[in-house]
Amino acid sequence: MASRSTYDEAAVVERLHHQDTARAAFGEVIAHYSSTLYWQIRRMVIDHDDANDVLQNTFLKAWTSIDNFRGDAKLSTWLYKIAINESITFINKKKAQNNISLDDDDSFLVNTLESDRWFDGDQAQVLLQQAIATLPEKQRLVFNMRYYDDMKYEDMSQVLGTSTGALKASYHHAIKKIEAFFEEHD
Amino acid sequence: MKQEESEILKRLGKDPGFKIPENYFEDFQARMMEMLPEVEITEVDAKPSMWVRVRPYLYMAAMFAGVWCMMHVFSHFNQNISAEQRVSEVASGMYMDNNADEFIMSGGASDYDIMSYEDSVLMDTDEHLND
Repeated sequence: MASRSTYDEAAVVERLHHQDTARAAFGEVIAHYSSTLYWQIRRMVIDHDDANDVLQNTFLKAWTSIDNFRGDAKLSTWLYKIAINESITFINKKKAQNNISLDDDDSFLVNTLESDRWFDGDQAQVLLQQAIATLPEKQRLVFNMRYYDDMKYEDMSQVLGTSTGALKASYHHAIKKIEAFFEEHD
Repeated sequence: MKQEESEILKRLGKDPGFKIPENYFEDFQARMMEMLPEVEITEVDAKPSMWVRVRPYLYMAAMFAGVWCMMHVFSHFNQNISAEQRVSEVASGMYMDNNADEFIMSGGASDYDIMSYEDSVLMDTDEHLND
């Protein structure tokens, strides 16, 4: 598999559309995007095992619908969209399993964080994850993409289908809510 | 970006404290490749066929030919109309001349009318001769 430094997206996309080269090309896509997508998913679903399942589903969905990707958008944008949809679907399923209303926030995901063997953050970081989990879904996505990934608003706009102005406002509201959460719980 | 961040977030930093198993991504890639089912890819023909490449030029040529034909037909039609108009004008002139002769012969016109009419006919004839 190709390393990140030798990854040539245009060439990979070209090879994805030929039967004899598609599988190997998709292997390069997995190698290139698995880390970025994993962290985006992990910040949404919190638990490592859940993030692993959602990441698998993301790549499976991308692979089985690779014919639908015609290169009109960037491959990263397309994969991000699938990952976000898969994460939201997963959270909604988990809510249904735990008899939690879809209208309730996602703070139930953070309840087991301190006992998670794949978490070694302190109390302040648990509090931050709780604060983020109380945000509405879109604000949460915007906050994670901006704060942790330093993603540009223009790129975010492509993934989330929202104007950059609305995304900036969303990020600002998210920060205000997190600050208010800390003032209340600190 | 810096202006957007709050003091609380600056203090917490950007490490959420999430960890992953050792060599997780390498193992994941290997597992993922084994999980991928067989799919049928619809091949995209990178090189367009001769017809696809030539088609725009043929359309353009057909358009110019169409415009030329329309102009030709229009011009021909105009010529026919002009000829018909000339015949019609001459015929109507003769009709008017015949009417005038009948009117004069029946004595319906005064001497002054007859002289004015003859003068106008003479002037028309001179103009035609000068042309």
